[in-house]
Amino acid sequence: MMNIKRVISTIEKNYILSNLKKDQRLDGRDLWQQREWSVKSNVIASAEGSAEVSLGKTQVITGVKYDVGTPFPDLPNEGVCTFMAELLPLASPLFERGPPNEQSIELARVVDRGIRHADCVQTKKLCIKEKKAVYIIFVDIYVINYSGNLIDAGGISSLTALISSKIPEGKWENDEVVWTGKYLTGDTLVNELPIVFTYGKIDDIIFFDPSLPEELVLDGRISISVTEDKITSIQKSGVATFSIEEVEMLGKKSMDFGKKLRKDLNLWQYKL
Amino acid sequence: MPLVIKDEYPEKLFRDDGKRLDGREKDELRPIKMEVGVLPNADGSAYLEWGNNKIYAAVYGPREVHPHHLSKPDRGILRVFYRMATFSVFERKRPAPGRREKEISMIISDCLKPVLFLELYPGTAFEIYINVLDADGGTRCACTTVAALALADAGIPMRSLVTAVAVGKIDGELVTDLSGIEDKAGEADLPCAITWFNEELSLLQFDGNTNLEEFSKSLSLAKDAMHKIYEIQLDALKKKYIEIQEEFNGGEKN
Repeated sequence: MMNIKRVISTIEKNYILSNLKKDQRLDGRDLWQQREWSVKSNVIASAEGSAEVSLGKTQVITGVKYDVGTPFPDLPNEGVCTFMAELLPLASPLFERGPPNEQSIELARVVDRGIRHADCVQTKKLCIKEKKAVYIIFVDIYVINYSGNLIDAGGISSLTALISSKIPEGKWENDEVVWTGKYLTGDTLVNELPIVFTYGKIDDIIFFDPSLPEELVLDGRISISVTEDKITSIQKSGVATFSIEEVEMLGKKSMDFGKKLRKDLNLWQYKL
Repeated sequence: MPLVIKDEYPEKLFRDDGKRLDGREKDELRPIKMEVGVLPNADGSAYLEWGNNKIYAAVYGPREVHPHHLSKPDRGILRVFYRMATFSVFERKRPAPGRREKEISMIISDCLKPVLFLELYPGTAFEIYINVLDADGGTRCACTTVAALALADAGIPMRSLVTAVAVGKIDGELVTDLSGIEDKAGEADLPCAITWFNEELSLLQFDGNTNLEEFSKSLSLAKDAMHKIYEIQLDALKKKYIEIQEEFNGGEKN
């Protein structure tokens, strides 16, 4: 039932911190352990691609829809891929109704930047006719249950939804878009698989994959997106400061975690 | 610019063998699956799969009313927020709630109020968040059904459950539980809900045209269907407690 409080007491914060200092966490993990992943694709029949992902008790559902529009003037032969995140009020009493707030915009933006700078979505292949018609891909992330670390869950679910998508292929004929009868699938849309990892910091202790109580008391967060051999995006948020050595260490750790998780989840299996 | 594939409906809504396009008989419901207690943060929650419809509902309350001026000194208020996901329909829906969503929220709220004892909770609010993640016709009925289940899961005193279903007319024939295509291409649509404590209709809308004879026949079709759905609702509620009972068999954990 309702076990989330808007305010976590100093006592609880100190308890979390003293446990972290002993290399222990409230849910029994060690500092560098991520919660269990569960990934399901193709869960929404109306969407062109979809994924239901849980990281521990955090659960998100992501759907891909498409539209045909005119390209941006400075990128006449490239399609567009946009991300949106909605923190549904049903997911947590901490979420409120209304237009997107800072937290949901940050979630969408961090996931977006991780994917955008990694040569992931092949926007050049999303062009139907230069200057006239390109695909606009919408990746919409819905948080169903909030239990900490939405960014990592949002990243994996967006990737899975993109990989599992099936978008009708159009061609330009007599000044209009006609359907060829074929589909663009995940291997056309997606190239690299950037994975984002989030770390929390309380005092001078850094830990991987903050759970909900940890997220409510932490001083700061850092999210790092990595492909197989490159860092593609970093977002530091919160009031904590990170030393250069710490950031370097986290970059290296993310690479290692990335290699392992990429193999464990094997996201390409969800391609249609 | 139109989408690459256009949204088109078939001319005939019955197959040559007399069955409907998805293979159902005229009075047959789509497969329905319900589960309660699916969202750990909510006071009560339920998940429903009704054909291709996929819906989550969560209940929070009784809790403080925000904004405060909406609170009533003599009774609690019920607020329902029906929302559809952007990817739940054929053409991407805009993320902001539209007029249709606001109207349906109100309809569902009015439909559920008769079963609640709101006068026992002055100054508080019950909030029901209903999110349609995948839509395929009849979502307002499906949402009413799943919202009632979430209220019951939250342990909120209720006079009875509420069950809803849509009946309609396609190609001149009366059918139960319209699918998305039947709803759009059919001739009439009659969503209705029943409050079981008095067996009266608490939600009733109608669009199309019909004569009185057909109208009363549709209502009796609806009642038969609602009895079947009610059984599924009860089973879903009981299942949670049967599971707890099995886990703690005779006070000892198996």
